[in-house]
Parts: sequence; C-alpha cells; structure tokens
Amino acid sequence: MHVDPKRELVKSKGGRIGLALLLIVILMAIFADLLATHDPLALTVHSFQPPSWEHPLGTNHAGQDIWSQLVYGARTSLVVGFLVAVLSTILAALIGASTALIGGVYDRVVMRLVDAFIVIPMILLLILLSIYVDPNLGSGAVVVIEALIGIVVLAVSVYVVRSLGWVGLLIVGPVLVLIILARNLLPTTVGLIVVISLLSWQGGARTLRAQALSLKERTHVVAARCFGAGTWYIIRRHIIPDMGPLLVADFVFCMRRAVFLQAGLAFLGIGNPNVVSWGSMLSDAREWVFLDVWRWWLVPAGAALSITIVAITLIGSALEPALDPRLRGEVSAQN
Amino acid sequence: MLTKENLTTYLIALLIILALNFFLPRMMPGDPLMAIYGDEALVQMSPQLKAELMERFALDQSFGEQFVSYWAALFRGDLGYSYSYNAPVIEVILGRLPWTLLLAGLALIFSTMFGILLGIESGWRRGGRFDGGMLSGMVALSGFPDFFLGILLLLLFAVNLKVLPLFGVEDVYSGLTGFGHLIDIGKHLILPLTALILARITAGYLLTRNTMIGVLKEPYILLARAKGLKPQAVKYRHAGRNSMLPVMTQTGIWMGLLVTGALFIEVVFAYPGIGFLTYNALTFRDYPVLQGVLLVSAVCVLGANFIVDLLYARADPRVSHAR
Repeated sequence: MHVDPKRELVKSKGGRIGLALLLIVILMAIFADLLATHDPLALTVHSFQPPSWEHPLGTNHAGQDIWSQLVYGARTSLVVGFLVAVLSTILAALIGASTALIGGVYDRVVMRLVDAFIVIPMILLLILLSIYVDPNLGSGAVVVIEALIGIVVLAVSVYVVRSLGWVGLLIVGPVLVLIILARNLLPTTVGLIVVISLLSWQGGARTLRAQALSLKERTHVVAARCFGAGTWYIIRRHIIPDMGPLLVADFVFCMRRAVFLQAGLAFLGIGNPNVVSWGSMLSDAREWVFLDVWRWWLVPAGAALSITIVAITLIGSALEPALDPRLRGEVSAQN
Repeated sequence: MLTKENLTTYLIALLIILALNFFLPRMMPGDPLMAIYGDEALVQMSPQLKAELMERFALDQSFGEQFVSYWAALFRGDLGYSYSYNAPVIEVILGRLPWTLLLAGLALIFSTMFGILLGIESGWRRGGRFDGGMLSGMVALSGFPDFFLGILLLLLFAVNLKVLPLFGVEDVYSGLTGFGHLIDIGKHLILPLTALILARITAGYLLTRNTMIGVLKEPYILLARAKGLKPQAVKYRHAGRNSMLPVMTQTGIWMGLLVTGALFIEVVFAYPGIGFLTYNALTFRDYPVLQGVLLVSAVCVLGANFIVDLLYARADPRVSHAR
C-alpha cells in the first residue's frame, strides 16, 4: 500500500469536484448562523409564502422559513455524518486489527457476530431500536457520551494533522469548527449517532482484518515482534498507519451511509422532531406536491441532500484506484 | 458455497433478532403488555383480548415462562396480534409480501441486467468518451437517495403530466378483471420500479466495469484476440461472461435485502408492500407488526443467502472443485 490517497484524490477530476461540492456544504453548515434569515423552527401564521427578499425560499406549511431550514439542515447532516464516520472507523480499525493479531477464540467469536450483523437488514434494526431505546437520555449520560466523543474526535484530529501535515490541518480544521459550532445539536442527535455507529463498523472491520492479517506477516512487523513489541504497540505503530488508504475509504463509506440514514430516518418521521433536517423537510414537503410549493421547498431540500451524498461518493470513487491498483492509469481496451 | 460456518452465521443472526424481539420490550419498565403493544393499542383493546394475549404469551408469569411461551408461539407461527389491522401479525405480513417481492424482485433483475450490460460496454471502452460520461453519470445517480428520485418521478409523471397513477397498486374502483386488471397493476408498477432500478443500477455497473477492466488484461483475452476473433465475440463471450461472476455473487447478497430494500420507495408511492406496512405500523405504533417484519425479513435474508450459496457452486465450477 504505497499509494498516496491524497494525490489520487486531487489528480482525478471527480475527486476535485467532490471536494469542491463538499466544501460548499461544509461552509454552508459553518456559516449557518450568518446565512439563515430566520429561526428555522419558529412557527408563524404566514404559511406557503412564495420566495421573496424576506424569505428567499418562501415558507412552509407551518410558516417556517425554508431557506433557514435548508442551511441548518446542512449542519445536522454533516455533524451526524462526520461523527458516525469517526466512531465507526475507529471501532472497525481497532476490532479488525485486534482480531487479526490476537486470533484464537476472540477472533472467531467476534467475527461470527460481525458476519451475523452484516446479514441483518440495518434499517429495520434502526427502526426497532428507535422505538424501544429512549432517545432522550438523561442529561448525565449525554454529558458523558459527549465528552467521550469529544476526546475521540480530538485524538483523531491530532493524529490526522500529525500524519498528513498541513493537508491534515486543512481537512480537520473546518470539521472541528463545524462540530464546535453545532454542539447544541449534540444532545438531540447523540443517541442516533451512537446507534448508527454501533451498527455500521462491521463491514469495515472485515476488510481491515483481512488487511491486518497480511500486514502482520510483513518483515518489519515480524522484526518488531522479535524486539519484544506487544500487540497494542504493533497495532498502534505498524498496523493502523499502514492501513491508511483503507481507513480513508471506510471513513468515506460510513459517512455517506450515515448522511443517507439520518435523512431516511427523518423522512420516516423517526427521531427528534425539533432537529432541522433535510429528511424531515422532504417528508413534510411530500404532502403538498399538488401546490406549487414543491419548487422552492421539496426540490432544494432533495437537491442539497443529493449534492452532499454525490460529493461524498465522488470522493470515495476517486479514492478507489488507491485501493485497487488495477484500476489505475487510463488505458483503453481498444488498442 | 454452503459451509457449516455460513450456516452458523445465519443461525446466530436469527438468534440475535429473536433475542432483540424478546428482550427489548420486556426490559422496559412497567407492564409488559403495554411495552409490547404500546399504550395507544391498549386503549383500543377489549379486556377479553388483553386477557387472551396475557395468557398466550404468559406475560404475567416469570421471565423463564415467558421465554418458553414465546418460543412455543413462534413454532405455531404466532407472532402476536396487530391491533391496527385487527388480524394476526403473520397474516398481515404474508398478505403484503407478494407485492414487495414483485416490485423488488423485478427491480433486482432489471437493475442487475442493465448494470451488467452497461458495465461491459463501459469497461470495454475504458478511458473513452462513453466510459467517462457513463461513469460520472452513474456515480452522480447513486448519490440521489431513492426516496428523492421517487418523489421527482411522481411529481413529473403523476402530478404534472398525469400519465401514470399516483399511488397504490391497483385502481380499486375500476372493477377491472383479467387482462385489464394486469395492465392496471403494471401501470401502477412503472414509477416505483423505475425509481428502484435507477437507485440500484450503479452498484452492478461499477462492479462489472471494474471486473471487466481486470479481465481484459488476462492472457486468455490476448489469445482470443490473437486467434482473430471478432471484437464482439471477445467482448461478450470471453470478457463479458467472466465479468459477470462477481455481480452474480453480489446479486445474491442484494437478494437478501429484497424485503426491506424497497422500504422508502414503497412509502413514497403508498405501495402496499412490507415497506409501507412498516411505515404504517410505525405511525400507528403497532409494535408487534414491526417486530414481525424484522423477523420475517431476517428469515428471507437467511433463506436468500442459503439459496445463493447452493446456486453459486453451480454457476462457478471452480467453487465446487476447490473443496
């Protein structure tokens, strides 16, 4: 794996477009407070107003400003996406690497469970859990989980900046700013973030375990072992750094799925109704397709969601040649 | 291939779901009947029904006895009672299953077929104009959430052009029979089916294209060309056929998601399958139906995987010889 995902990403046209689109959505989310013209949840009597200077995208059935909802929806999508991606990638890396290195009963039991979870339809599991697991955790539990997430995010940021240099800072900086700005979103979404993360690390753990199994036979790892390095040291210093491109791919994949799932669950009406989300905008707007309002209500919300997912997908597929070297180089079959 | 390991995996998955269905509601504080059925259902139930349900699932007994009667009920095919449909859960679910299988099954067949064809063409012309356009188009398409695609199709064809029906699976009041009825069902199927195919096609396309690129570098392709075979023959008979295998495996995995994969599309088009049932059960808080759907779809996933494992050994002779 001596392929640099950074270069692969910037080299491809799709990757550049994806990065640019995602950057726009990130900026929208960061500057939501400045861009929004109204409180996105404030109910007024002026429902179904057409677009005007006062309301750039008009108002919805409850008289809420659609533009402001759109802008704050970016925050919800990105915060859920980033945090789920961070948490499940870390889980995948730790479990994949440790099962490969420790082996034995631990490996067999964990991998069996992983396989079982992969075959269960995730969306149904999420729906069922959303009924029985109370989303309104006690404030004490929320604080603890938030603190844990904060520590994890900080640790990952430091790691990324240290290993990627200024490029890392460029990636991590905006995301950290976004998460700090959107921290008041956390109490209402932290349950969702944790549940989606707990259900989405399994696929990644499988791939990463396979990679770790081949890495652990490499000479430098064997050498480290001969010098008395412990399992945890080898995971930290040799396995995880060498899994770089795969980790990035897993991150992108998890983020894409989390953005989709968050919107999908909100579309089904699951979750806190006080969270502004593109999914719930679509679900509300769907009821009024017979009026003209869909032009400035339904279409912008769906377009914003699609652009975000397309951007993440483009980034992911630009990274693909880094993972599958057979796809590199532009050679035509007809020569 | 069907191994003992795969079989245990399926059994474990099933056990996890059964455990969730059993423990989640019973771990809630308070009356188990209320936790299982929800307070809204309890208000509408008659005292006789309550007493009967209490007895059938031994809800006033100890945890152990509840566990025994839960299993006994499972073996009778008794998944509980749906208060919003006034019928046993299993009947409600089995009544909806054929519609979902029709919609999702057709979508799976068509999206795989188109995906394979376009993937072969694209991989063959790698780096060319067709390939570039196709690739970016497909990647962009896969970013559209299926429910948004569905709503857009609905807006365009049903609301504005008014050429296709808006929702449901048949025109209930038309009283059509025989052939006319079939055409009516087909008309209702077009929009949800198109949305699902569009949402699904990318995965098969990408997989075929990537495999095709790898296959085209194989020595047997060079030999086929050197023999002087026509490009068409090399493309389809030699490269294309070999590029299909991974997609076939993948289709098997997608087959497992047949029951739940159409959830959002069914909701958008009010298509009376399992997905729409799930959505309604969620709205009416009809929890036993949700639990039943989870169980039935898990059984379908496991069944589908089982069949695929059996079939795969036939599709790829190397698999059955390898063992």
